Amino acid sequence: MKNLLVIVIAIFSFTLCSNSTIAQSDRDQIEVQVDGLGCPFCAYGLEKKFKEFKGIKDVKIEMETGIFTFSYPSEKALSLESIENQVDKAGYTAVSTKITRADGNIEESKENITALTEESIIVKKDIFVAGNCGMCKARIEKTSRNITGVVNADWDKDNKMLKLEFDNSQTSIGEISAAIAKAGHDTKYAQADDNVYDELPGCCQYERI
Amino acid sequence: MNLIKYFFYIIISISFLACQNNPPEWKYARTIDLGSTTPIGLAVVDNHIWVADGDNNRLIHLDEGGKILFTEDGFERPMHITSDGQSIFVPEYGMDQITIFNGNERKKLPLVDTLDAPAGIHFNDGMFAIADFYNHRILYGKDDQWISFGKEGKADGEFYYPTDVHLAHQKIYVADAYNNRVQVFDLNGQFLQSIGKEEKMNASTGIYVGQEIYVTDFEKDRVLVYSLDGNLLQTIDEKLEKPTDVMLKDNALYIANYKGKNLMIFEKKAN
Repeated sequence: MKNLLVIVIAIFSFTLCSNSTIAQSDRDQIEVQVDGLGCPFCAYGLEKKFKEFKGIKDVKIEMETGIFTFSYPSEKALSLESIENQVDKAGYTAVSTKITRADGNIEESKENITALTEESIIVKKDIFVAGNCGMCKARIEKTSRNITGVVNADWDKDNKMLKLEFDNSQTSIGEISAAIAKAGHDTKYAQADDNVYDELPGCCQYERI
Repeated sequence: MNLIKYFFYIIISISFLACQNNPPEWKYARTIDLGSTTPIGLAVVDNHIWVADGDNNRLIHLDEGGKILFTEDGFERPMHITSDGQSIFVPEYGMDQITIFNGNERKKLPLVDTLDAPAGIHFNDGMFAIADFYNHRILYGKDDQWISFGKEGKADGEFYYPTDVHLAHQKIYVADAYNNRVQVFDLNGQFLQSIGKEEKMNASTGIYVGQEIYVTDFEKDRVLVYSLDGNLLQTIDEKLEKPTDVMLKDNALYIANYKGKNLMIFEKKAN
Protein backbone atom coordinates (compact mmCIF):
# COMPACT_ATOMS: atom_id res chain seq x y z
CA MET A 1 0.00 0.00 0.00
CA LYS A 2 2.86 2.34 0.98
CA ASN A 3 4.71 1.57 -2.27
CA LEU A 4 1.56 2.19 -4.28
CA LEU A 5 1.18 5.59 -2.65
CA VAL A 6 4.81 6.50 -3.49
CA ILE A 7 4.28 5.47 -7.13
CA VAL A 8 1.07 7.53 -7.39
CA ILE A 9 2.80 10.61 -5.95
CA ALA A 10 5.77 10.12 -8.29
CA ILE A 11 3.50 9.85 -11.37
CA PHE A 12 1.52 12.89 -10.22
CA SER A 13 4.70 14.95 -9.71
CA PHE A 14 6.10 13.85 -13.09
CA THR A 15 2.83 14.86 -14.79
CA LEU A 16 2.94 18.27 -13.09
CA CYS A 17 6.56 18.83 -14.11
CA SER A 18 5.81 17.76 -17.70
CA ASN A 19 2.89 20.17 -17.91
CA SER A 20 5.03 22.93 -16.49
CA THR A 21 7.72 22.25 -19.11
CA ILE A 22 5.13 22.27 -21.88
CA ALA A 23 3.68 25.51 -20.49
CA GLN A 24 7.10 27.19 -20.52
CA SER A 25 8.14 25.80 -23.92
CA ASP A 26 5.60 27.89 -25.79
CA ARG A 27 6.80 31.15 -24.27
CA ASP A 28 9.58 33.51 -25.31
CA GLN A 29 11.78 34.89 -22.54
CA ILE A 30 12.51 38.59 -22.84
CA GLU A 31 15.25 40.51 -21.05
CA VAL A 32 15.57 44.26 -21.43
CA GLN A 33 18.20 46.34 -19.75
CA VAL A 34 16.51 49.64 -19.01
CA ASP A 35 18.54 52.68 -18.12
CA GLY A 36 17.38 55.24 -15.62
CA LEU A 37 15.36 53.05 -13.29
CA GLY A 38 16.33 55.25 -10.35
CA CYS A 39 12.85 56.30 -9.29
CA PRO A 40 10.81 53.48 -7.77
CA PHE A 41 7.50 55.16 -8.54
CA CYS A 42 8.25 55.18 -12.27
CA ALA A 43 9.91 51.75 -12.25
CA TYR A 44 6.95 50.10 -10.56
CA GLY A 45 4.82 51.99 -13.06
CA LEU A 46 6.73 50.40 -15.95
CA GLU A 47 6.13 46.99 -14.40
CA LYS A 48 2.46 47.80 -13.82
CA LYS A 49 1.89 49.03 -17.36
CA PHE A 50 3.56 45.96 -18.91
CA LYS A 51 1.35 43.73 -16.79
CA GLU A 52 -1.63 45.11 -18.71
CA PHE A 53 -0.50 43.28 -21.89
CA LYS A 54 -2.50 40.17 -22.43
CA GLY A 55 -0.37 37.08 -22.17
CA ILE A 56 2.57 38.66 -20.36
CA LYS A 57 3.87 36.67 -17.39
CA ASP A 58 6.79 36.41 -14.99
CA VAL A 59 7.34 40.18 -14.94
CA LYS A 60 10.32 41.15 -12.83
CA ILE A 61 12.39 44.29 -12.37
CA GLU A 62 15.78 44.37 -10.69
CA MET A 63 16.22 47.95 -9.57
CA GLU A 64 19.97 47.65 -8.98
CA THR A 65 20.83 46.40 -12.45
CA GLY A 66 17.91 47.89 -14.39
CA ILE A 67 17.11 44.47 -15.85
CA PHE A 68 13.46 44.01 -16.74
CA THR A 69 12.38 40.47 -17.62
CA PHE A 70 9.15 38.81 -18.67
CA SER A 71 7.81 35.96 -20.75
CA TYR A 72 5.38 36.20 -23.65
CA PRO A 73 3.49 33.67 -25.82
CA SER A 74 5.81 32.67 -28.66
CA GLU A 75 3.01 32.52 -31.27
CA LYS A 76 2.72 36.32 -30.95
CA ALA A 77 6.33 36.62 -32.21
CA LEU A 78 7.11 39.80 -30.29
CA SER A 79 9.90 41.67 -32.09
CA LEU A 80 12.92 43.49 -30.62
CA GLU A 81 11.65 46.71 -32.16
CA SER A 82 8.17 46.46 -30.64
CA ILE A 83 9.62 45.76 -27.18
CA GLU A 84 11.97 48.75 -27.41
CA ASN A 85 9.12 50.94 -28.68
CA GLN A 86 7.00 49.86 -25.73
CA VAL A 87 9.79 50.68 -23.29
CA ASP A 88 10.20 54.06 -25.00
CA LYS A 89 6.45 54.70 -24.71
CA ALA A 90 6.66 54.06 -20.98
CA GLY A 91 9.31 56.79 -20.87
CA TYR A 92 12.41 54.63 -20.50
CA THR A 93 15.33 53.75 -22.72
CA ALA A 94 16.19 50.17 -23.58
CA VAL A 95 19.97 49.88 -23.51
CA SER A 96 19.94 46.27 -24.70
CA THR A 97 17.20 43.78 -25.53
CA LYS A 98 17.40 40.01 -25.76
CA ILE A 99 14.71 37.55 -26.77
CA THR A 100 15.23 33.85 -26.12
CA ARG A 101 12.65 32.21 -28.35
CA ALA A 102 10.77 29.15 -27.22
CA ASP A 103 12.76 27.04 -29.72
CA GLY A 104 16.07 28.24 -28.23
CA ASN A 105 16.97 30.86 -30.87
CA ILE A 106 18.33 34.09 -29.49
CA GLU A 107 17.77 37.57 -30.92
CA GLU A 108 19.64 40.57 -29.54
CA SER A 109 19.70 44.27 -30.26
CA LYS A 110 22.87 45.57 -31.86
CA GLU A 111 24.72 48.71 -30.89
CA ASN A 112 25.46 51.27 -33.57
CA ILE A 113 29.20 51.18 -34.20
CA THR A 114 30.73 53.97 -36.22
CA ALA A 115 33.30 52.77 -38.77
CA LEU A 116 36.15 55.22 -39.19
CA THR A 117 37.69 55.89 -42.62
CA GLU A 118 40.78 57.69 -43.94
CA GLU A 119 38.68 60.85 -44.24
CA SER A 120 37.56 60.70 -40.63
CA ILE A 121 38.18 63.79 -38.53
CA ILE A 122 37.56 63.05 -34.86
CA VAL A 123 36.22 66.05 -32.99
CA LYS A 124 35.72 66.36 -29.23
CA LYS A 125 33.11 68.87 -28.14
CA ASP A 126 31.02 69.56 -25.03
CA ILE A 127 27.51 70.93 -25.44
CA PHE A 128 24.83 71.94 -22.94
CA VAL A 129 21.79 69.62 -22.99
CA ALA A 130 18.88 70.23 -20.62
CA GLY A 131 17.70 67.27 -18.53
CA ASN A 132 17.15 66.09 -14.97
CA CYS A 133 17.70 62.50 -14.11
CA GLY A 134 19.07 59.06 -14.94
CA MET A 135 16.29 58.51 -17.44
CA CYS A 136 17.28 61.73 -19.22
CA LYS A 137 20.91 60.58 -19.26
CA ALA A 138 19.99 57.26 -20.89
CA ARG A 139 17.81 58.95 -23.51
CA ILE A 140 20.36 61.65 -24.40
CA GLU A 141 23.28 59.24 -24.66
CA LYS A 142 21.41 56.58 -26.61
CA THR A 143 20.05 59.14 -29.07
CA SER A 144 23.56 60.49 -29.62
CA ARG A 145 25.22 57.10 -30.01
CA ASN A 146 22.63 55.97 -32.53
CA ILE A 147 23.80 58.64 -34.97
CA THR A 148 26.30 57.30 -37.49
CA GLY A 149 29.54 59.13 -36.86
CA VAL A 150 29.20 59.46 -33.09
CA VAL A 151 31.99 57.57 -31.37
CA ASN A 152 31.15 58.42 -27.77
CA ALA A 153 28.58 60.40 -25.79
CA ASP A 154 28.56 60.97 -22.03
CA TRP A 155 26.08 63.34 -20.35
CA ASP A 156 26.70 64.68 -16.85
CA LYS A 157 23.49 65.02 -14.82
CA ASP A 158 24.99 67.64 -12.52
CA ASN A 159 26.47 70.15 -14.96
CA LYS A 160 24.20 69.15 -17.92
CA MET A 161 27.15 68.95 -20.29
CA LEU A 162 27.27 66.28 -23.00
CA LYS A 163 30.80 65.23 -23.85
CA LEU A 164 30.79 64.21 -27.49
CA GLU A 165 33.36 62.48 -29.62
CA PHE A 166 32.38 62.24 -33.27
CA ASP A 167 33.66 61.90 -36.81
CA ASN A 168 33.11 65.28 -38.42
CA SER A 169 33.17 63.71 -41.90
CA GLN A 170 30.06 61.66 -41.05
CA THR A 171 28.02 63.92 -38.76
CA SER A 172 27.95 67.37 -37.24
CA ILE A 173 27.09 69.09 -34.00
CA GLY A 174 23.96 70.45 -35.70
CA GLU A 175 22.74 66.97 -36.66
CA ILE A 176 23.42 65.59 -33.17
CA SER A 177 21.67 68.56 -31.49
CA ALA A 178 18.64 68.17 -33.76
CA ALA A 179 18.35 64.46 -32.91
CA ILE A 180 18.58 65.15 -29.16
CA ALA A 181 15.93 67.87 -29.45
CA LYS A 182 13.71 65.46 -31.39
CA ALA A 183 14.01 63.08 -28.40
CA GLY A 184 12.70 65.85 -26.12
CA HIS A 185 15.77 67.66 -24.80
CA ASP A 186 16.66 71.29 -25.44
CA THR A 187 20.27 71.90 -26.41
CA LYS A 188 22.29 75.03 -26.94
CA TYR A 189 21.61 74.68 -30.69
CA ALA A 190 18.11 73.17 -30.96
CA GLN A 191 14.82 73.30 -29.04
CA ALA A 192 12.52 70.31 -28.46
CA ASP A 193 8.91 70.62 -29.66
CA ASP A 194 6.50 71.37 -26.82
CA ASN A 195 4.41 68.26 -27.52
CA VAL A 196 7.51 66.02 -27.37
CA TYR A 197 8.61 67.69 -24.13
CA ASP A 198 5.12 67.21 -22.64
CA GLU A 199 5.33 63.48 -23.37
CA LEU A 200 8.49 63.04 -21.27
CA PRO A 201 7.99 61.28 -17.92
CA GLY A 202 7.38 63.58 -14.97
CA CYS A 203 10.86 63.28 -13.53
CA CYS A 204 12.40 64.21 -16.91
CA GLN A 205 10.50 67.48 -17.29
CA TYR A 206 13.45 69.80 -16.91
CA GLU A 207 13.41 73.58 -16.87
CA ARG A 208 13.27 74.73 -20.51
CA ILE A 209 16.17 76.72 -21.94
CA MET B 1 39.54 104.20 27.99
CA ASN B 2 36.02 103.84 29.35
CA LEU B 3 34.69 104.30 25.82
CA ILE B 4 36.66 101.26 24.62
CA LYS B 5 35.35 99.29 27.60
CA TYR B 6 31.73 100.19 26.78
CA PHE B 7 32.31 99.40 23.11
CA PHE B 8 33.69 95.97 24.09
CA TYR B 9 30.59 95.27 26.27
CA ILE B 10 28.29 96.26 23.41
CA ILE B 11 30.07 93.88 20.98
CA ILE B 12 29.84 91.01 23.51
CA SER B 13 26.14 91.73 24.11
CA ILE B 14 25.34 91.83 20.39
CA SER B 15 27.21 88.56 19.81
CA PHE B 16 25.33 86.93 22.70
CA LEU B 17 21.97 88.13 21.41
CA ALA B 18 22.81 86.99 17.89
CA CYS B 19 23.58 83.50 19.21
CA GLN B 20 20.35 83.48 21.18
CA ASN B 21 18.39 84.38 18.05
CA ASN B 22 19.81 81.48 15.98
CA PRO B 23 17.04 78.90 16.02
CA PRO B 24 18.00 75.27 16.56
CA GLU B 25 18.48 73.20 13.41
CA TRP B 26 18.15 69.54 12.47
CA LYS B 27 21.53 67.83 12.81
CA TYR B 28 22.55 64.32 11.85
CA ALA B 29 22.37 61.96 14.85
CA ARG B 30 22.61 58.35 13.67
CA THR B 31 21.82 55.76 10.99
CA ILE B 32 19.77 52.58 11.14
CA ASP B 33 21.12 50.19 8.51
CA LEU B 34 18.35 48.18 6.83
CA GLY B 35 20.43 45.58 4.98
CA SER B 36 18.78 44.77 1.66
CA THR B 37 15.68 46.85 2.39
CA THR B 38 14.91 49.78 0.13
CA PRO B 39 12.68 51.94 2.32
CA ILE B 40 9.84 53.85 0.69
CA GLY B 41 7.32 54.52 3.46
CA LEU B 42 7.38 54.81 7.27
CA ALA B 43 4.81 54.40 10.04
CA VAL B 44 4.80 53.84 13.81
CA VAL B 45 2.75 51.32 15.80
CA ASP B 46 3.29 50.93 19.57
CA ASN B 47 6.45 53.01 19.32
CA HIS B 48 7.87 50.51 16.79
CA ILE B 49 8.77 51.60 13.29
CA TRP B 50 7.36 49.84 10.24
CA VAL B 51 9.04 50.30 6.89
CA ALA B 52 7.48 49.65 3.47
CA ASP B 53 10.09 47.92 1.31
CA GLY B 54 8.80 48.48 -2.21
CA ASP B 55 11.51 46.64 -4.13
CA ASN B 56 11.13 43.49 -2.04
CA ASN B 57 7.32 43.60 -1.73
CA ARG B 58 7.28 43.50 2.07
CA LEU B 59 6.99 45.39 5.33
CA ILE B 60 9.82 45.47 7.84
CA HIS B 61 9.13 45.64 11.57
CA LEU B 62 11.83 47.29 13.69
CA ASP B 63 12.16 47.28 17.48
CA GLU B 64 12.59 50.48 19.47
CA GLY B 65 16.33 50.43 18.87
CA GLY B 66 15.91 49.97 15.15
CA LYS B 67 16.77 46.26 15.01
CA ILE B 68 14.82 44.30 12.38
CA LEU B 69 12.44 41.98 14.26
CA PHE B 70 10.71 40.36 11.30
CA THR B 71 9.47 40.94 7.78
CA GLU B 72 5.94 40.59 6.46
CA ASP B 73 6.02 39.47 2.83
CA GLY B 74 3.51 39.35 0.00
CA PHE B 75 2.57 42.99 -0.55
CA GLU B 76 2.55 44.18 -4.15
CA ARG B 77 4.84 47.24 -4.16
CA PRO B 78 3.91 48.74 -0.77
CA MET B 79 4.40 52.52 -0.73
CA HIS B 80 3.79 55.33 1.81
CA ILE B 81 2.08 53.54 4.71
CA THR B 82 0.18 54.90 7.70
CA SER B 83 -1.25 53.61 10.98
CA ASP B 84 -4.26 54.27 13.20
CA GLY B 85 -2.24 53.03 16.19
CA GLN B 86 -3.38 49.42 15.78
CA SER B 87 -3.34 48.47 12.12
CA ILE B 88 -1.11 49.45 9.24
CA PHE B 89 -2.71 50.72 6.05
CA VAL B 90 -0.65 49.70 3.05
CA PRO B 91 -1.12 51.25 -0.38
CA GLU B 92 -0.35 48.38 -2.77
CA TYR B 93 0.75 50.21 -5.89
CA GLY B 94 0.76 47.07 -8.00
CA MET B 95 -2.68 45.91 -6.82
CA ASP B 96 -4.60 49.22 -6.92
CA GLN B 97 -5.79 48.77 -3.37
CA ILE B 98 -5.22 49.73 0.26
CA THR B 99 -4.62 46.71 2.45
CA ILE B 100 -5.28 46.80 6.19
CA PHE B 101 -2.77 44.69 8.11
CA ASN B 102 -3.27 44.18 11.84
CA GLY B 103 -0.39 41.81 12.51
CA ASN B 104 -2.46 38.67 11.92
CA GLU B 105 -4.78 39.19 9.00
CA ARG B 106 -5.10 41.36 5.93
CA LYS B 107 -8.19 42.84 4.40
CA LYS B 108 -8.93 45.38 1.72
CA LEU B 109 -9.96 48.89 2.73
CA PRO B 110 -13.41 49.33 1.18
CA LEU B 111 -13.54 52.29 -1.19
CA VAL B 112 -16.34 53.61 -3.35
CA ASP B 113 -13.90 54.42 -6.14
CA THR B 114 -11.19 52.66 -8.16
CA LEU B 115 -7.54 53.48 -7.58
CA ASP B 116 -4.74 53.38 -10.15
CA ALA B 117 -1.44 52.86 -8.34
CA PRO B 118 -2.04 54.30 -4.85
CA ALA B 119 1.28 55.78 -3.74
CA GLY B 120 0.48 57.14 -0.29
CA ILE B 121 -2.08 57.13 2.48
CA HIS B 122 -2.38 59.03 5.75
CA PHE B 123 -4.76 58.60 8.70
CA ASN B 124 -5.55 61.31 11.23
CA ASP B 125 -8.52 61.97 13.48
CA GLY B 126 -10.64 59.19 12.00
CA MET B 127 -10.13 60.28 8.39
CA PHE B 128 -7.99 59.03 5.50
CA ALA B 129 -6.34 60.78 2.59
CA ILE B 130 -4.98 58.78 -0.36
CA ALA B 131 -2.61 59.85 -3.15
CA ASP B 132 -3.95 58.19 -6.33
CA PHE B 133 -0.80 58.32 -8.51
CA TYR B 134 -1.95 57.55 -12.07
CA ASN B 135 -5.34 59.23 -11.61
CA HIS B 136 -3.57 62.44 -10.53
CA ARG B 137 -5.96 63.05 -7.66
CA ILE B 138 -6.48 62.84 -3.91
CA LEU B 139 -9.21 60.93 -2.09
CA TYR B 140 -10.31 62.05 1.35
CA GLY B 141 -12.87 60.47 3.67
CA LYS B 142 -13.83 57.29 5.51
CA ASP B 143 -16.27 54.38 5.27
CA ASP B 144 -18.60 55.16 2.36
CA GLN B 145 -18.14 58.92 2.53
CA TRP B 146 -15.31 60.05 0.30
CA ILE B 147 -14.53 63.06 -1.80
CA SER B 148 -11.91 63.21 -4.55
CA PHE B 149 -10.25 66.27 -6.00
CA GLY B 150 -7.63 67.21 -8.57
CA LYS B 151 -6.83 66.22 -12.13
CA GLU B 152 -3.71 65.96 -14.28
CA GLY B 153 -2.11 69.35 -14.81
CA LYS B 154 0.24 71.98 -13.56
CA ALA B 155 -2.14 74.70 -12.38
CA ASP B 156 -3.01 75.28 -8.72
CA GLY B 157 -5.22 72.44 -7.51
CA GLU B 158 -4.02 70.08 -10.27
CA PHE B 159 -1.51 67.26 -9.83
CA TYR B 160 1.21 65.53 -11.79
CA TYR B 161 1.70 62.14 -10.14
CA PRO B 162 1.02 62.80 -6.42
CA THR B 163 3.02 60.34 -4.31
CA ASP B 164 2.25 61.19 -0.68
CA VAL B 165 -0.28 62.96 1.47
CA HIS B 166 -0.53 64.15 5.09
CA LEU B 167 -3.45 65.34 7.25
CA ALA B 168 -2.67 67.98 9.86
CA HIS B 169 -4.00 71.29 11.19
CA GLN B 170 -7.38 70.64 9.49
CA LYS B 171 -5.61 70.66 6.12
CA ILE B 172 -4.55 68.18 3.45
CA TYR B 173 -0.88 68.43 2.43
CA VAL B 174 0.08 66.77 -0.86
CA ALA B 175 3.53 65.85 -2.19
CA ASP B 176 2.77 66.71 -5.83
CA ALA B 177 5.84 64.79 -6.96
CA TYR B 178 6.43 65.72 -10.58
CA ASN B 179 5.04 69.21 -10.32
CA ASN B 180 7.94 69.51 -7.86
CA ARG B 181 5.94 71.17 -5.11
CA VAL B 182 3.72 70.73 -2.08
CA GLN B 183 0.10 71.76 -2.34
CA VAL B 184 -2.13 72.54 0.63
CA PHE B 185 -5.93 72.09 0.61
CA ASP B 186 -8.76 72.53 3.07
CA LEU B 187 -10.80 69.48 4.05
CA ASN B 188 -13.24 70.15 1.20
CA GLY B 189 -10.43 69.90 -1.36
CA GLN B 190 -10.22 73.63 -1.97
CA PHE B 191 -6.74 74.80 -2.94
CA LEU B 192 -5.05 77.00 -0.32
CA GLN B 193 -1.35 77.23 -1.03
CA SER B 194 1.58 75.96 -3.10
CA ILE B 195 4.98 75.54 -1.45
CA GLY B 196 8.49 74.91 -2.77
CA LYS B 197 8.59 76.43 -6.24
CA GLU B 198 11.61 78.59 -5.42
CA GLU B 199 13.62 75.58 -4.30
CA LYS B 200 13.32 73.92 -7.73
CA MET B 201 12.64 70.49 -6.30
CA ASN B 202 12.99 67.45 -8.54
CA ALA B 203 10.36 64.92 -7.43
CA SER B 204 8.82 65.82 -4.08
CA THR B 205 8.07 62.25 -3.08
CA GLY B 206 7.29 62.24 0.65
CA ILE B 207 5.70 64.61 3.14
CA TYR B 208 5.18 64.90 6.90
CA VAL B 209 3.65 67.82 8.78
CA GLY B 210 4.11 68.60 12.46
CA GLN B 211 4.86 72.14 13.59
CA GLU B 212 6.97 72.29 10.44
CA ILE B 213 6.56 70.81 6.97
CA TYR B 214 9.11 68.21 5.84
CA VAL B 215 9.42 67.25 2.16
CA THR B 216 11.76 64.74 0.53
CA ASP B 217 13.30 66.00 -2.70
CA PHE B 218 14.15 62.62 -4.24
CA GLU B 219 16.41 63.48 -7.18
CA LYS B 220 18.25 66.24 -5.34
CA ASP B 221 19.08 64.02 -2.35
CA ARG B 222 17.68 66.36 0.28
CA VAL B 223 14.84 67.07 2.70
CA LEU B 224 13.42 70.58 2.78
CA VAL B 225 12.02 71.97 6.02
CA TYR B 226 9.37 74.69 5.79
CA SER B 227 7.42 76.70 8.32
CA LEU B 228 3.67 76.10 8.27
CA ASP B 229 3.22 79.26 6.21
CA GLY B 230 5.62 77.91 3.59
CA ASN B 231 8.92 79.66 4.28
CA LEU B 232 12.05 77.56 3.84
CA LEU B 233 13.75 77.01 7.22
CA GLN B 234 16.43 74.43 6.46
CA THR B 235 17.79 72.15 3.79
CA ILE B 236 18.99 68.78 5.04
CA ASP B 237 21.28 67.06 2.56
CA GLU B 238 23.90 65.40 4.73
CA LYS B 239 24.29 61.69 3.89
CA LEU B 240 21.01 61.49 1.96
CA GLU B 241 20.67 59.33 -1.16
CA LYS B 242 17.28 59.41 -2.84
CA PRO B 243 15.06 60.02 0.21
CA THR B 244 11.46 58.87 -0.23
CA ASP B 245 9.73 59.51 3.10
CA VAL B 246 10.11 61.36 6.37
CA MET B 247 8.41 61.30 9.78
CA LEU B 248 8.76 62.60 13.34
CA LYS B 249 9.13 60.17 16.22
CA ASP B 250 10.13 61.10 19.77
CA ASN B 251 11.17 64.58 18.58
CA ALA B 252 13.59 63.07 16.05
CA LEU B 253 13.29 63.26 12.27
CA TYR B 254 13.42 59.85 10.53
CA ILE B 255 14.25 59.88 6.84
CA ALA B 256 13.74 56.85 4.59
CA ASN B 257 16.92 56.83 2.53
CA TYR B 258 15.89 54.71 -0.46
CA LYS B 259 19.20 54.31 -2.26
CA GLY B 260 21.24 54.30 0.95
CA LYS B 261 19.08 51.40 2.24
CA ASN B 262 18.86 52.91 5.69
CA LEU B 263 17.00 55.30 7.96
CA MET B 264 18.79 58.54 8.71
CA ILE B 265 17.91 60.14 12.03
CA PHE B 266 18.28 63.85 12.69
CA GLU B 267 17.77 65.70 15.98
CA LYS B 268 17.12 69.35 16.60
CA LYS B 269 20.09 71.04 18.22
CA ALA B 270 21.07 74.61 18.96
CA ASN B 271 23.62 76.13 16.62
